Amino acid sequence: MSPASPALAPGEIVLRGATRSFSLRADNAGTLKGLLLGRRVAGPAPVPALAGVDLHVAPGERLGLVGRNGAGKTSTLRVLAGIVPLQSGEVACGGTVVSLLEFAAGFSRDFSGRENIYLQGALHGLDRAGVEARLPEIIAFSELGEFIDIPVRTYSTGMFVRLGFSIVAHLAADILLIDEVLAVGDEAFQQKCLRRIGERIAAGTTVVLVSHDAAAIERVCERVVVLDSGRVMFDGPTDEALAFYRRLIGSEQGALLP
Amino acid sequence: MSGYRYLFSQLVRRELRRKYKGSSLGVLWYLINPLVLMGAYTLMFGHVFKLQHFPDFPVFLMIGLMAWTFFQQSLLAAADSLIEQGGIVRRARFPRETIPAAAVTVQLVTFAAILILLTPLSLALRGTSAPATLLLLPVLVALLFGFVLGCALIVSVLHAYYRDVAPILTAALLPWFFLTPIFYEPDRSIHFVAQHPAVATLLNWGNPMAPFIRGLRDVLYYGTAPDLGRLLYMAAAAGLALTLGSAVFRRMEGELAVVL
Repeated sequence: MSPASPALAPGEIVLRGATRSFSLRADNAGTLKGLLLGRRVAGPAPVPALAGVDLHVAPGERLGLVGRNGAGKTSTLRVLAGIVPLQSGEVACGGTVVSLLEFAAGFSRDFSGRENIYLQGALHGLDRAGVEARLPEIIAFSELGEFIDIPVRTYSTGMFVRLGFSIVAHLAADILLIDEVLAVGDEAFQQKCLRRIGERIAAGTTVVLVSHDAAAIERVCERVVVLDSGRVMFDGPTDEALAFYRRLIGSEQGALLP
Repeated sequence: MSGYRYLFSQLVRRELRRKYKGSSLGVLWYLINPLVLMGAYTLMFGHVFKLQHFPDFPVFLMIGLMAWTFFQQSLLAAADSLIEQGGIVRRARFPRETIPAAAVTVQLVTFAAILILLTPLSLALRGTSAPATLLLLPVLVALLFGFVLGCALIVSVLHAYYRDVAPILTAALLPWFFLTPIFYEPDRSIHFVAQHPAVATLLNWGNPMAPFIRGLRDVLYYGTAPDLGRLLYMAAAAGLALTLGSAVFRRMEGELAVVL
C-alpha cells in the first residue's frame, strides 16, 4: 500500500505514471517448483491493465470512468482502494476510501444479511457501536425487510446489490469508489442509489463511478476519463468525454466494416 | 491495526459459530473432537501397547496432545484461511494478517477450554502442582501462541501463492508428531535415545514444539517451574517466529488480492 501522503487533502486523489499488469498464468503466482528451481516457466505475456495513468481528482469532484471491457476501469478502482498495488508509479488518496467492488464478494453465505452488515462494517474499520449506529438506516435503505435475518445464500443477485450498496453508502468516506453495480438492481432501486450518491456528493464526498450506463454517468459525473488499454484517452467534461467515447467505439466498429 | 480490533473479533466469533452452525451441540463439538482423540490415544498408548510407565498417563498424554493439536490445527486452518476469506481480501483494504491471526485464535479457544478442564484434573490426580508454578501457565500459553502465530503467518501467505504448501505441511506434520515428545519423554522412554545423549539433545531442542510441551508438562504434570534454559528457548522461539512471520507476511501480502 502506498504511504499516505500528508500533503493530500481529504477526498483528493493522485495517480502518477500508474502502471500495473496482470499475469494470465492459470497458477497466478507460479509454482513452488519454479520458485525452488529459481526459474519461471514461460507463459503468456502479462496484460497491462494500467499503462502510465496520470490523474488528479480534486476533493468533492465527481469523476466517471468509461471504457470498453478490459480498458482498466476496475483495475484503477482496485488500485485507488489500495487492494492491488502498483508495479510502478504512485497512488495516493486523501482521507478514508470506501469502495463497492465485486458486490457479492466478501459476504458469508451462511450468515444473515444483518450479520453480514456487521462484518462489512468491521472490514471498513468500524467498531460495534459504529455499525449499530448505522444499522437501522442500512436495513431501511436496503428494503430487504424480513430477508435481512435470513442467510444470504438465499439472496438473489439484486438483493446482494441492495445490501452491498446500502452498507457502503452509509459508511463515512472522503472518497467513494463504485464499480458497475448499479446496473444489476431494478430501476427504482437504481434511482434511489443515484439519489443517495447525490447526497454524498452534496456532503463533499469525492465519487469515482465506473459504469457502462451513460445516463448514470451523465447524472452523477461532472468529469469523465475515457480509458483504453490502460491509457487515458480523454479527460474532460462529461458531455465531451462521452462524445469522444462514442466516436472511439464507432470508429473501431467502422474500421471493422468492409 | 487497533481500528480493526472489531474485525478481528468478528472473524473469530463467526468462525467459531460457522463450523457447527445448525448442529444441536454447536460449539461443544470443539471440545468433543479433541477429547475423543485424546481418549483414543490414551487407550492405544496407555493400555493396549502399554508402552509407558508414567503414572496418571492420561494427564501426561493430554498435555502434550492438546498443545500439539493446537499447533497442528492452527497451521492447517491458517493455510486455508486467506483462500477461504479471499472475498473480503478482494473487497476492501484492511490489515490482512487479521485473517490468519483469527484462525489461530479460534484454535486457541479450544486449547484454552481443554486446559481449563485439565488443570484441576491434573491438580487433583497429581497433587503436586504448587499454585505459584501454575502462575507460569498463562505465560507458557502466551509464548506458545506467539510461536504458533508466527508460523501461521508464514504458512498462510505462502499457501496463498503456492498451493503445494498445505499438502507438504500435512505430510510433514505426521512424522513431526511422532518425533515430538507427546506420549513419551525421549531420554526416559526410548532405550536407544537414553544410550545416545546426542539424539536426546536433538529430540529435545531441535524440535521447537518439544520445549513447549515439556514446559507445559513441567508445570501441569511434574508441578515444577521449567528451568531457565527452557523458558528462554520458548521466549526466543516465539520472538523469532513472530518477527520472521510478520516480515514474510508483510513482504508477500501485497499481491494477495491478485493471487486469491
